[in-house]
Amino acid sequence: MSAPRPYNLIAELTYRCPLRCAYCSNPLDWQRVRDGLDAPAWSRVFREAAELGVLHAGLTGGEPGVRSDLREIVAGAAAAGLYVHLVTAGVPLDRAALATLRDAGLCSVQLSLQDVRAGDGDAVAGAEVHERKLAFAAWVRELELPLTLNVVLHRHNLERVGAVVALARDLDAHRLELANVQLHGWALANRAALLPTRSQLDAAAAAVRTARAEAPRPEIVFVLPDYHADRPKACMGGWGRKNLVVAPDGTVLPCHGAAALPLEFWSAAERPLADCWTRAPGMNAYRGEAWMREPCRDCPERERDFGGCRCQAFALAGDAAEADPACALAPAHAAVVTAREAAERGESAQWVLRGRHG
Amino acid sequence: MSWSRDEFEARLRGVLDERYHDRHPFNRRMHEGALSREELQTWIRNRYYYQTRIPLKDSVILTKSGDPAFRREWVQRIHDHDGTAEREGGLELWLRLAEAVGLERTEVEDLSGVLPGVREACDDYVRLVEERDLVEAVASSLTELGAGKIMHVRIEAFERHYPWVGEEGLRYFRSRTTQAPKDADWGLPWVLDHATRADVQGRCVAALEAKCDILWRLLDAVAAAHRVPRLTAAARRRDDPQDGRPTVVLPERAVRLNDSGREILDLCDGKRSADAIARTLRLRHPDVEAIEPDVHGFLAEMERLGVLESAA
Ligand code: SF4
Ligand code: SF4
Repeated sequence: MSAPRPYNLIAELTYRCPLRCAYCSNPLDWQRVRDGLDAPAWSRVFREAAELGVLHAGLTGGEPGVRSDLREIVAGAAAAGLYVHLVTAGVPLDRAALATLRDAGLCSVQLSLQDVRAGDGDAVAGAEVHERKLAFAAWVRELELPLTLNVVLHRHNLERVGAVVALARDLDAHRLELANVQLHGWALANRAALLPTRSQLDAAAAAVRTARAEAPRPEIVFVLPDYHADRPKACMGGWGRKNLVVAPDGTVLPCHGAAALPLEFWSAAERPLADCWTRAPGMNAYRGEAWMREPCRDCPERERDFGGCRCQAFALAGDAAEADPACALAPAHAAVVTAREAAERGESAQWVLRGRHG
Repeated sequence: MSWSRDEFEARLRGVLDERYHDRHPFNRRMHEGALSREELQTWIRNRYYYQTRIPLKDSVILTKSGDPAFRREWVQRIHDHDGTAEREGGLELWLRLAEAVGLERTEVEDLSGVLPGVREACDDYVRLVEERDLVEAVASSLTELGAGKIMHVRIEAFERHYPWVGEEGLRYFRSRTTQAPKDADWGLPWVLDHATRADVQGRCVAALEAKCDILWRLLDAVAAAHRVPRLTAAARRRDDPQDGRPTVVLPERAVRLNDSGREILDLCDGKRSADAIARTLRLRHPDVEAIEPDVHGFLAEMERLGVLESAA
């Protein structure tokens, strides 16, 4: 199969992170994934990605700021001609470090915020970081970098969407991503604690509409979570189609969760990136439509949603080639309905924080 | 479980409290007297397209009912808009409003200046009525519940802030101060009587929400035509290294354009308004038909994607 042109490189520089978010989408066994690429190796990956057609690099993790060679990595991506976007929790970078990154070619910053109040935010992050994040946001704007705020929404903070928007305005964010929690990785383990009710979501959607009506900025992204929609999301814009993920150890993946699937992916530490993207058996496993079964195979929606998320199919249906169980037509949809109904009945649980390093 | 009659009515009214276009920033500016003559003209030229869709959607609603009593009542709405003779009715009164603000009647009537966002929103309204059941279609008309009040406020605002429009121009608004409440007084009880099952009630609320969103989008598109677009701080323009296509890269995505897109973006200098950009391009390309709506459509799309932002 010929591979499509990737436009976006998601560079997971490390899975290490000073935070321990209960909804972290990193693999449960993240400690086993070493930082396998040094700055020169990342520079090579960026150059090869640009040759494949990539225009954009999102530097993420874990927390990219824990890499002492982050400046070199940013410079490598900029030298390859890529748009360099940093996704960070705001610790441990300080203002001087951020200024250095900007001078090295950083184009924009996405900061995660857990909540509007320090107590609530720090509880889900498992660390005292809220105040520091607010300071970080101010530094981003002082340095005239565009700021995206990303707030993961779940059962325990959905009520505060209006306050989140107000905070985003105070922080002069260009864009606010209200990201309804995606139930992968640690978030799936914490599903009962995180999954909201339908009425919480409806109230949040109303608050978003009000906020959009008040002012055009920040641009607010709010998408109904797939557990409460009857159709799945077009996960990553399709498997191995537009987005190329490189994990900290160099493994080239179609999305950050795919390493958990029983597939063979190749590492950019060992082979040219183009081979890893076009020829690795795992990358080709769910490209196109040949792998689809009923009901996706004949469904008109398949050109839009590509059958949904393979990782969710594997996690909930036990088989990555099944339709995404978030889809009401999927054979394994009951798994989603059961979880949703439990959430509606108020059967919640206490979350566990992401496991510590080592 | 279905809602009681009172609760159902409260839900429907709640939709209007939250989403009716009297809350739209453009409408608020209109009523505060903050619109320029050009902005008023754009609104009136574009809103005329909505006016022309109303008798169409009412005709569709007629085809959905087998009840002569319903049709007798509903057909009145078509007469209200079309009149019962030439030079009468709501459409005609709207054209007089257009003339009163200095537009050419023919230019408004031929719909050539209608913005794509407005066209889409209004066409969506007709489609909504086509696709849904009779009771939902009627429920979607219940924006009339808010129309009486908005018309009173509007007449006062025009008299105070835009006295140059003149009395003849306000006749449409005046006619609606009585028609809309009359229609709502009939339509609301009819919906309450005919939607008693929970699922039908839910769909009626959804239809009214969809209608409110359509009116809102109409004003969004009108407002955008007068803002001053410029590249966002996050956007970087470059030519694609593989195929040379003009491209804008953003924190979350890359947007690929063609040569016309490049030409339009080159004009987004933070000084020209969308309207001025569209006129510049019309002068530059006199051979291209209906170029202005296309330019506005492109600018709206770029704003939605985060390539452009615009100041009022
Ligand atoms: S979700 Fe939280 S713990 Fe996971 S990488 Fe991001 S900041 Fe760190
Ligand atoms: S059946 Fe498959 S293709 Fe159709 S909507 Fe569901 S997941 Fe998408």
